[in-house]
Amino acid sequence: MREIISSLSAKLHSGEISSVELTKEYIKAIEASNESINAYVHTTFDAALEGAEIADKLLKTGNASALCGIPMTLKDNICTDGLLTTCCSKILDGFKPYYDAAVWEKLKAEGAVLLGKTNMDEFAMGSTCESSCYGAPLNPRNTAHVTGGSSGGGAAAVTANMAAYALGSDTGGSIRQPASYCGIVGLKPTYGAVSRYGLIAYGSSLDQIGPMTYSVKDAAIVFDAIKGYDRRDQTSKAFDYGNILEALNQDVKGKKIGVAEDFFEGIDPDMKAQIFEAIKLFEKNGAEIVNIKMPALKLALPVYYIIACAEASSNLGRYDGIRYGHRTASYESIDDMIFKTRSEGFGAEVKRRIMLGTYVLSSGYYDAYYKKAIVIREEINREFNDIFTKCDALIAPTAPNTASPLNFRGASSIEMYLSDICTVPINIAGVPAISVPCGKDAKGLPIGMQIIGKKFDEATILNMAYFYEQNSEDKVGIYEGGVRI
Amino acid sequence: MAVTKIEIEKLAKLSRLRFSDEELEKFTSEFDEIIAFADTINQSVEGGTDNIRSVGSELISFEELREDEVIPSLPNEKIVSNVEDKDGFFSVRRLVK
Amino acid sequence: MRYEVVCGIETHIELATNTKIFCNCTTAFGGDPNTHCCPVCTGQPGSLPILNKKVVEYAVRAGLAVHCKINNISHMDRKNYVYPDLPKAYQISQYDEPICEHGYIMLDSGKRIGITRIHIEEDAGKLIHENGYTYIDYNRGGVPLIEIVSEPDISSPEEAKEYAEKLQLIMRYAGISDCKMQEGSMRCDVNVSLREAGTKEFGTRTETKNVNSLNFIQKAMYAEIERQTDILEEGGIIVQETMRYDDVEDSISPMREKENSDDYRYFPDPDVIRFEIAQEKVEEIQKSLPELPFDKLKRYIDELELPEATARQMFRYRRVAEFFEEALAEGASVKNASNLITGTIYANMSIEEDKELFKVLITAKQFAGLVKLLDDKKINFKMAQSTLQQMLESGKAVEEYIKAEDMEGISEDDLTKLCQGAIDANPKAVEDIKAGKDRAINSMFGFIMKQSKGKADVKKAEAIIRELISKMS
Ligand SMILES: [Mg+2]
Ligand SMILES: [Zn+2]
Repeated sequence: MREIISSLSAKLHSGEISSVELTKEYIKAIEASNESINAYVHTTFDAALEGAEIADKLLKTGNASALCGIPMTLKDNICTDGLLTTCCSKILDGFKPYYDAAVWEKLKAEGAVLLGKTNMDEFAMGSTCESSCYGAPLNPRNTAHVTGGSSGGGAAAVTANMAAYALGSDTGGSIRQPASYCGIVGLKPTYGAVSRYGLIAYGSSLDQIGPMTYSVKDAAIVFDAIKGYDRRDQTSKAFDYGNILEALNQDVKGKKIGVAEDFFEGIDPDMKAQIFEAIKLFEKNGAEIVNIKMPALKLALPVYYIIACAEASSNLGRYDGIRYGHRTASYESIDDMIFKTRSEGFGAEVKRRIMLGTYVLSSGYYDAYYKKAIVIREEINREFNDIFTKCDALIAPTAPNTASPLNFRGASSIEMYLSDICTVPINIAGVPAISVPCGKDAKGLPIGMQIIGKKFDEATILNMAYFYEQNSEDKVGIYEGGVRI
Repeated sequence: MAVTKIEIEKLAKLSRLRFSDEELEKFTSEFDEIIAFADTINQSVEGGTDNIRSVGSELISFEELREDEVIPSLPNEKIVSNVEDKDGFFSVRRLVK
Repeated sequence: MRYEVVCGIETHIELATNTKIFCNCTTAFGGDPNTHCCPVCTGQPGSLPILNKKVVEYAVRAGLAVHCKINNISHMDRKNYVYPDLPKAYQISQYDEPICEHGYIMLDSGKRIGITRIHIEEDAGKLIHENGYTYIDYNRGGVPLIEIVSEPDISSPEEAKEYAEKLQLIMRYAGISDCKMQEGSMRCDVNVSLREAGTKEFGTRTETKNVNSLNFIQKAMYAEIERQTDILEEGGIIVQETMRYDDVEDSISPMREKENSDDYRYFPDPDVIRFEIAQEKVEEIQKSLPELPFDKLKRYIDELELPEATARQMFRYRRVAEFFEEALAEGASVKNASNLITGTIYANMSIEEDKELFKVLITAKQFAGLVKLLDDKKINFKMAQSTLQQMLESGKAVEEYIKAEDMEGISEDDLTKLCQGAIDANPKAVEDIKAGKDRAINSMFGFIMKQSKGKADVKKAEAIIRELISKMS
């Protein structure tokens, strides 16, 4: 598995290539492939080239960071000063924030080069990216299939070498699941590890920004750059991670790995076999496998939808056509304007979730749904806490399936929700998890293995993922388009 | 709990959304399915929730709160940069002409 | 039928912090539209609230000042409703875990009006309806408020006014707000219902929103009681609705409800972590509270033995009371100090607000210097008044105006000379006195006082004049 960031960084630092040259390569790749892949919804090539020039100057000083001059992309829900940020929703049509998200501020300061904003499910609500108002991106591994979602555009861009890395956001699996569908690495950090300032909220108590990369080492480099306390996000935390990159090279001997049957219920047998083979690899290298039970897990999905939708219904109230984004063309009163604007601006899935959220918070239903969901959330937290007294990490599938074909409609309206079953418990508990490629299914589609850690212990899961990546065969393979590195 | 069309209409109003009759019909049946799914949590929690506060367990101490120090606000051009400017105000036409 | 009035008041008070409740924008009044704004207080996507420490401290101060129990742990909730002045479509407020609960305010009658709770919340922006447009200014959006909710213990418009007035004074003393009702930094929502005298059950209540003066509270309540009484007498039913009081017409009418159901879907704001204020900190705040106004009033009357009317004129204004007490500490006497304040100093302050601000050029110490001369009878009251007036205009100390020799009074010889001068200057008065018109002597006193700079003893002067006149002829 190639480490794109480290190898590009080496070339940039040695002067073998300049950031401007590299950026032009990526722009070329995007121009060649984006029309078919639809990974980018807004490109920012002018800003990218300007950024590259600044990066080249920084590189010349000799103390530039590993991310300096490296072209990358942000999910379309991460605010960028003066650049379109639309959450792939008609309601944010034309919206240009006048402030940078904390993560972009940090990366920009290190000389990162922003190629554009990538496709996503509208307001990050979805698991296929098909609810994007710009249409779904295609999975570069097999363009008849979805990328997964909601950070599907970022996954596609990285997979197809149209960006060295991407930042996504993960509320119920939105980084990990598309990473697994596209055969790349996706890290959802601990809730509070990365500032949410400038991330357009979906479910505020669950949302977290994280890297989507070609390799585990790349993920570690990017995570290292974006983590940390930010005064503008009261839920962010200061935590001393020490040297994360050094942590990658630890061995796994003596590590206790928890495996809960509950995570494997009803998943594809091929997938199960692949992941158990990976577990065996750890065992062979001295890790201890601990069988555990997580009875509250089956409730995680309804709890997730209740909490996420409740928060979303409130978070999305502000899109009223008054201060930014879409406003309906004709109306009879302010109230009429708001109703029309929202009805025109939001897509079906967003409306569905707003309505569900309104329902579970409304008088008479609050106790039965929202409050109970909070109770179970606490129970799930306790289960995770308990498990992490016995284990260093948990291994589970990232998703119960591989990428579905485009326009695939399940039997019921909750079918899509079920594909989040393995990822949402992690957001509910606020713990970190990483998805790493773990072979392919019979159709040749990538499988993702999820490694889950305790709060603020990204080091352990990155280390385990790195170990697996280095010690297993490269089962996914390299995409043969995009920028040749 | 089955949801009636009237309830859906009430939710739509609270959500500031309008649906056509057709959409509403579709929505009502979908909603039942989703609510049934959400209802699975009801079978699992025993007893009432009266003594439960619906807040997380995390706490921040008074001392850690933000200090009351002014940081200059942003220029008005930025604040209203995403709307048609009306002398520095946000505005909505109120009367039909 | 006889009806009993049941009234509870919700009071919103703007806290005098430097910055808004969730961002570092200034709370300064005025400014061009949308210039005290940032992504947070205009509800931009991706922005997050950061709770202001001072807001929590002030809310605790307010609570302690009205004998509330302080909840050491408290959290913010979202109150969801859509209105253009509310940029996030929710107000961050407190619902089931307010920062203060269970306080009271004591009326003069000794009756306690319970305070259910005090909670923290954010103010909305301002809407201006003009030329067929609604213009929105978010400068006030996010200004911190506390909402003080009373128990329905108020039984008359007079009690309502007294409650609000006391609350206003107490909060000013607590130093958390200027509580200016006209400017909106204190506004009252008055809930009124009627029930048959002697019954227990509450009637349906109405809420008159944003009443902006103490007198209007009383008037609005009278109007509403009358309206409800009329309806009930005619066998009608009171509808629970929001009323508006028109102070020009002195009339009350239902407000056109915005299309809002009151299902606010409160839930804990996930962006603002539940916060804890340690008991030691609460105690520290308690200690930092000044003597509260009604304790002060009682002390002025009972211990300082001030006449009640004077005491009431003094305690109302925190800065006046401070000035007064500082002068006392410098050795001034209670009687002379209070009389000079309510006489001379107040004469310069025609409106309430001047007394509230109490901007005087002299220090309490300088003031005490003057009062002590009066106390020691080195000058008379009249002279003290005129000197004080000069001091207030110049800000200079008493020594500038009264020299040592001025205080020695005037010698018998000099006084006789002055009296002779008065006689020479007023031949007409002399004639009148001779003719038995005694009051004519007054015109001579003015001359003498002016020449002696007020130092002459009038009684002595009268005796001398009479003697001089009797020697004439
Ligand atoms: Mg309120
Ligand atoms: Zn602000």
